[in-house]
Amino acid sequence: MTSPGTDSAQTGAVYDLGYVPYDGERTGRRGAIRSTIRDGMQRVMGIRRRARKKVIPWILVTLAVVPAIVFVGLSFLLSSFAPGTENPYGSHADYFALTASIVMLFSALAAPEELIPDRREGVLAIYSSRPMRADDYVWARASALGLIVLGFLLAPQVLMYVGFAALSPNGFWSGLTESADQIPRIIAAGVVYVLALTPVALLIAAFASRKTVASGVYVAVMWLTIPVSFALSQLTEVPGARYASLLSIYGLPEHVRDWIFDVRPGTTAPAGAGVEPWISLTVIVIVAIASFSAVIWRYRRLM
Amino acid sequence: MADVISTEGLSHAYGSVVALHDVTLSVPQGRIGLVGANGAGKSTLIRILIGILRPTRGAAQVFGLDSKKSEIEIRSRIGYMPEADCLPLDQTAADFLYYAATLAGLPPHAARQRSSDVLGLVGLDEERFRQLGGFSTGMKQRAKLAQAIVHDPDLVFLDEPTAGLDPEGREGMLELIDRFSGFDIDVVVSSHVLGDIERTCDWVIMLDEGNVIRSGPLAAHVDVDTVQVEPLSRLEDVAGALASRGADVESDGSAIAVTMADGDPYLLVRDVLAELGVGIRRLGPKETTLEDVFLAADAAR
Repeated sequence: MTSPGTDSAQTGAVYDLGYVPYDGERTGRRGAIRSTIRDGMQRVMGIRRRARKKVIPWILVTLAVVPAIVFVGLSFLLSSFAPGTENPYGSHADYFALTASIVMLFSALAAPEELIPDRREGVLAIYSSRPMRADDYVWARASALGLIVLGFLLAPQVLMYVGFAALSPNGFWSGLTESADQIPRIIAAGVVYVLALTPVALLIAAFASRKTVASGVYVAVMWLTIPVSFALSQLTEVPGARYASLLSIYGLPEHVRDWIFDVRPGTTAPAGAGVEPWISLTVIVIVAIASFSAVIWRYRRLM
Repeated sequence: MADVISTEGLSHAYGSVVALHDVTLSVPQGRIGLVGANGAGKSTLIRILIGILRPTRGAAQVFGLDSKKSEIEIRSRIGYMPEADCLPLDQTAADFLYYAATLAGLPPHAARQRSSDVLGLVGLDEERFRQLGGFSTGMKQRAKLAQAIVHDPDLVFLDEPTAGLDPEGREGMLELIDRFSGFDIDVVVSSHVLGDIERTCDWVIMLDEGNVIRSGPLAAHVDVDTVQVEPLSRLEDVAGALASRGADVESDGSAIAVTMADGDPYLLVRDVLAELGVGIRRLGPKETTLEDVFLAADAAR
């Protein structure tokens, strides 16, 4: 016979707790929206997805960031070997032009990823049974895309800003404050690029049935409108032809960027046609609102 | 018992096609079966109740909350398993269920814990790290059920939960639904398989072409005081003798269903068989299935 002491030391018990009710905190609509934003950001970067989903977004991130690292490195070499020489790599405005095409390609791939799988795979039915409305879903997906694209634009800018500050002959902290006037301009330009590039991508993704089709149509719209708007704006005999330069959405943020950074207007179609930058900004905002409204309209019928 | 669902003059039309017509219901808590043929209006009724669709006319309430004005409050307390595919194919079961829980408002830590528990409950704990795209139909149905209950709702709507399942999978799904009453979760099961409803529900709503043809406790539908006798011979003579003594008799060629407004039908059958000297193959209560009730109610319309 086993003694009671030995019994308690050598035996255990398995308890089937079965179904355990949950009576803790519930975050409701706010939590649902926050969760949708987080999922949207993870989805476009391929986080918690298969490896092949990560490849393209992270290649594009690398392409956007590496030049900033190279510029800081070159500036370091320049300051080491030719002290006092003016840094030719320090223009935040120019860097936006460098990343714009990468961001546009990223938006072409990310916006369909945000919207189309949920529709094709029927996942919208799950959202419809959670404490959120169609508008909340669209806002959350748009916010996820906007935040990722903004991060895409600002990460290399921050890298450059901090890197150049570290190379400042007056010390790091002085370097940070010397260019402080650039910070609101960098943020404003980033927001303008996001407003110009992402709502149209979402609009096309909201109506396309396949991701590749949505990406292709978006890139075509962005690139093909450049020569078309330029050609139409050159018809000087037609009154108001210069406003045709505004048809190219892709060129508008660059036009506004020059205005924000107060630099000489570049080679964008609106600048060449003599259109005021505030008109480009107005068009960006109107197109963004119209695109977003159309996406909301579409999803109110789906959810 | 408080009503969990109530509707008043509820109608919905898709263009010229009327999906629901003047539906008035009052349904208590419990396990509720929603039966009807494909296109009867079952899914439309569910979609109105959870606020996805706006009724063309009338009103619906869930937990006493108006489905048009309080859909956020209603959705905070319900779960929904759609009939169609609804799973993101590029996510693992664990990630999806965690996401489904946070979407319902659970904080991250609780969502992680609940998703793990519920995957175990539906028998998918071994598959938690597999992509949903690689799941079989039965596993997908279980994952759909899991997302519907992961946040511990008060009421869960299951739209055709056994659709596409093999007999073994169907049995497993029905067993799971059967356990819900022990979880303190009310259930609305929509199905065109009447046997599934008989097996799992205690209240049944019958829909046909957008109309409610019956709504009430399941026992009231199937408990009919009818005796069924299968004579070895002279079936018509037995039926005639029973009818001549005041019984309602219905013969299907091999058996006779006997109902009496007054008196014991067993005693009458015994007497008639003894008088005629006829043996029997079987004598007992007529097994009235939900299908019989549905067909009778449909015929009465």
